[in-house]
Amino acid sequence: MSGPDAMHGEMPGFIPGRPGGEHDEPLLDTIFDRRPLPPGAPPEMRALVRTLAVAAGPAEPGELAGEAAALAAFSGLAPSGGVSPAAQRPARRWLSGWPARGRLPLTAALVAAAAGLGSIVAAYVGVLPGPIQEMAHVTVGAPAASGGNDPLTHVAPSRSRSSPRVTDSSGHPQTRPAGPAPAPSQATSPQPHRKPTGRSTGHPVPNCTPGPARTTPKPSPTQYPPTPGPGQPVWTPRPSATAGCPVIVTQPSSSPTR
Amino acid sequence: MIGAAFGDTLARAQAGDEAAFACIFRDIQPALLRYLRVIAPDPEDVAGETWVQVVAGLGGFRGEEQAFRAWLFTIARHRAADAGRSRARRPAVPLETSGAEDQLTSPDTADLALEAVSAQAAVAMIATLPAEQAEIIMLRVVAGLDTADVARIVRKTPGAVRVAAHRGLRRLAGQAERMGVTQ
Repeated sequence: MSGPDAMHGEMPGFIPGRPGGEHDEPLLDTIFDRRPLPPGAPPEMRALVRTLAVAAGPAEPGELAGEAAALAAFSGLAPSGGVSPAAQRPARRWLSGWPARGRLPLTAALVAAAAGLGSIVAAYVGVLPGPIQEMAHVTVGAPAASGGNDPLTHVAPSRSRSSPRVTDSSGHPQTRPAGPAPAPSQATSPQPHRKPTGRSTGHPVPNCTPGPARTTPKPSPTQYPPTPGPGQPVWTPRPSATAGCPVIVTQPSSSPTR
Repeated sequence: MIGAAFGDTLARAQAGDEAAFACIFRDIQPALLRYLRVIAPDPEDVAGETWVQVVAGLGGFRGEEQAFRAWLFTIARHRAADAGRSRARRPAVPLETSGAEDQLTSPDTADLALEAVSAQAAVAMIATLPAEQAEIIMLRVVAGLDTADVARIVRKTPGAVRVAAHRGLRRLAGQAERMGVTQ
């Protein structure tokens, strides 16, 4: 296929360098960009511009009929920052609609789980009675009770969670062995048998910004549409039914209407 | 489009100012309703659900007017999809008894050939396009979103959106000329 390509007149819709390109693409982009059509634009394009202008035109009768309902919803659900009442409502409705007998097992399970967790925490802190503490030492690896079998160290039972003391078997404070200093959390809360949980200590910051909210700068609305030439069709943005809205100030912003 | 005052208007609406919210509503509702007429079975109902969700999330919204419109039309599209699924689950009613025959007929060409074409007729003309092209044209033209925003909403690449939009406009141009739409 080393011969010459097709002549340009044989492929009128083809633009070299743009596979599949159509000759009217610049014209269609002109319409999308809301710029006036060139003088030689075909009549179907002028009809198209007219159709689009009407489709994007101002509100017609009946199109704002839902305003009262929307305002009522706004009055009832107007957010004041944070979690809105509307966001909480489905959860409340879901819970209130659940039969009481269905909630009972869940409540019992939650109480049991809380009690179990509390017992484990108490065992690790070392505030359980001696036999129970010993049992916890054997079963979950909690520190042994006072006077336990560990000949060297043990964690003295203390009512204070924040300052358990490391002592030797005679109850005297033990000198810290040589080596790198532990992290502050390790120094104040001995956890001799605790296994790493693999959890990150950082909490992800919830992203409350909804959907596609972006802060990228956009072209100023004042930049378009350009003024059309005389007699040139242009798809102008529909005149806003709210042109005077920003001037309307019925209430100071500091006193929201609810 | 509200324009430069949008930020202030949105802030007042977020603070609970009804007039500011009404301003935003009146600016977007016609475009929202026309868009939903192309993609949703019950446009008025879906528009109402959309606004309820917008109100619920209004306090957390951060962004400019274009982003707000993109967010709102994204919600509208999701609600329309929900409405479509809900309608599909309903038991079918025989046409003979429902009286819905007239509603299911496509708009007659003669009805759309208006000397002074109305917005409803223009939207109906766009609705005769293939669904994807019609939706993209509505989002680009009526909702006033750019190609990137439309691509995110319809989950396509900007190039695919551009191609579909051009194809839709070409078909629409032919229809508009045949129907005698004049300036």
